[in-house]
Amino acid sequence: MSLKEKIETGQFVVLGELEPPKGTDFSHMVAHANRVRNRLDAFVVPEMANAVMKASSLGGCACLNREGLEPVFQACCRDRNRLALQADILAAGGLGIDNIMVVPGEEIAFGDHPRARAVHDLSLTQALEMIRGLCSGKDMSGIDLQGTPDFLVGSNLNAGVTGGALDLELEELSSKIDLGVRFVITTPVFDLDRFEKLLKRLDRQKIAVIPTVLLLKSAGMARYIDRNIPHISIPSDMIQSIQKASDKLKRCVEIAGELIAGLKAMEVGGVMISTIGWEDKLPLVLDQARLG
Amino acid sequence: MIVAERKPIEEIIEEAKGFDRILVAGCNECVTVCEAGGKKEVGVLASALRMYFMNQGREVKVDEVTLERQCDHEYLEEIRNIIDNYDAVISLACGVGVQFMAEKYFHKPILPGVNTVFMGATEERGVWSERCQGCGKCILAKTGGICPVSRCAKRLFNGPCGGSSQGKCEISDELPCAWQLIVDRLKELGRLDEYEEIMPIKDWSTDRAGGPRKVVREDVRQ
Repeated sequence: MSLKEKIETGQFVVLGELEPPKGTDFSHMVAHANRVRNRLDAFVVPEMANAVMKASSLGGCACLNREGLEPVFQACCRDRNRLALQADILAAGGLGIDNIMVVPGEEIAFGDHPRARAVHDLSLTQALEMIRGLCSGKDMSGIDLQGTPDFLVGSNLNAGVTGGALDLELEELSSKIDLGVRFVITTPVFDLDRFEKLLKRLDRQKIAVIPTVLLLKSAGMARYIDRNIPHISIPSDMIQSIQKASDKLKRCVEIAGELIAGLKAMEVGGVMISTIGWEDKLPLVLDQARLG
Repeated sequence: MIVAERKPIEEIIEEAKGFDRILVAGCNECVTVCEAGGKKEVGVLASALRMYFMNQGREVKVDEVTLERQCDHEYLEEIRNIIDNYDAVISLACGVGVQFMAEKYFHKPILPGVNTVFMGATEERGVWSERCQGCGKCILAKTGGICPVSRCAKRLFNGPCGGSSQGKCEISDELPCAWQLIVDRLKELGRLDEYEEIMPIKDWSTDRAGGPRKVVREDVRQ
């Protein structure tokens, strides 16, 4: 069953994040994907996450598609203007990629090419409007397309914001839903109680909420994220449990498994497992979470 | 200077029609020189607004003021005593002045009366053209004093594109090719050999790519 069918019928979906290489050798990416073939519903291929230059999401998606694996293509307004975005999205549709998500993109200054010029020709919601137009057969100038794409459309949701910022996030989510977004992938979730409160404010009849479960690698990494990454907090007992564990990897995999189980119990739309560089550990996480 | 154009009166009316007491505020600097927002334009706009409201049968107070500058605290302070006599201000300063006034008078709607378009020069009365984009890293010493960032349509750094024809840019017959101008000037200065030097790839982090910019001079700061 395709990701689209599963999301439309409200089934729990399991996504994995697979970064394209910084280079032309896609073999590792494909090998990681094949290792969990049939255990995941689709692979989210980031578009230069954290503004670090890599092969494009479109390239990665085309590679996975060729292998008979279902990808989720990311379109990012930071580096492409409306011509380039539309061109890539049509290319994705033509290549048989069925899933697309629009992401805002990290600031260029945070990446490995800080001297680059950002584009931001379209905002995220304008890009969604553009995709809706393409799916109805017209480009942004109203010109008819020769062949129309049909995408399952998704976007991101910042699960960590609070107060007025959360109100704005939810307002934006409502606009995204009106523009055809059917799923959102959240920022990494570590605090289940806090996430449950957010879930109560979301209309899950209208949108599949897919939290990201990030596989931690060490107590140091967890502490760094907790202290330095805005809107992500990691409970201190979770960090301590990694610190105390004799087998750190095992404990990190257990945490990911526990988070997935906890989220599943909340009847979320699915989970997106992010392993940032530890893609070979994806099977361990799936085993731990008894998925697939 | 900063070059601005007057906004269409219909657009200004649309934004201002809900208010009963309006102050039209001009600026004596750049927008006066480019004849978009000085004392004269304040008078013209205020008259047009009065006429519009009169035709609508509405009694709307429209007053005029022109400040020396709207991008400095001290001149903006000059309206502090009168600002509460108005429901809104239409500022004919550039976008800097509009925003600075809005920051200073936080609870007062400040509406823009001009479109700010570029940093440029007066070629002749009634003709202004772009010269600078404020990219934060000036290379004019290398390009014969002519800026490819602001004057080449493609912002090319190492000579013209294939669209340069008879000294003109491919996007308009009326637009000189910046690289033709650069080559001509380097030739005039006897420095054409500099044209052969390959310019490094531009660092855009000093442009808006690095986010909104700020200049801090500790030596003159008070």
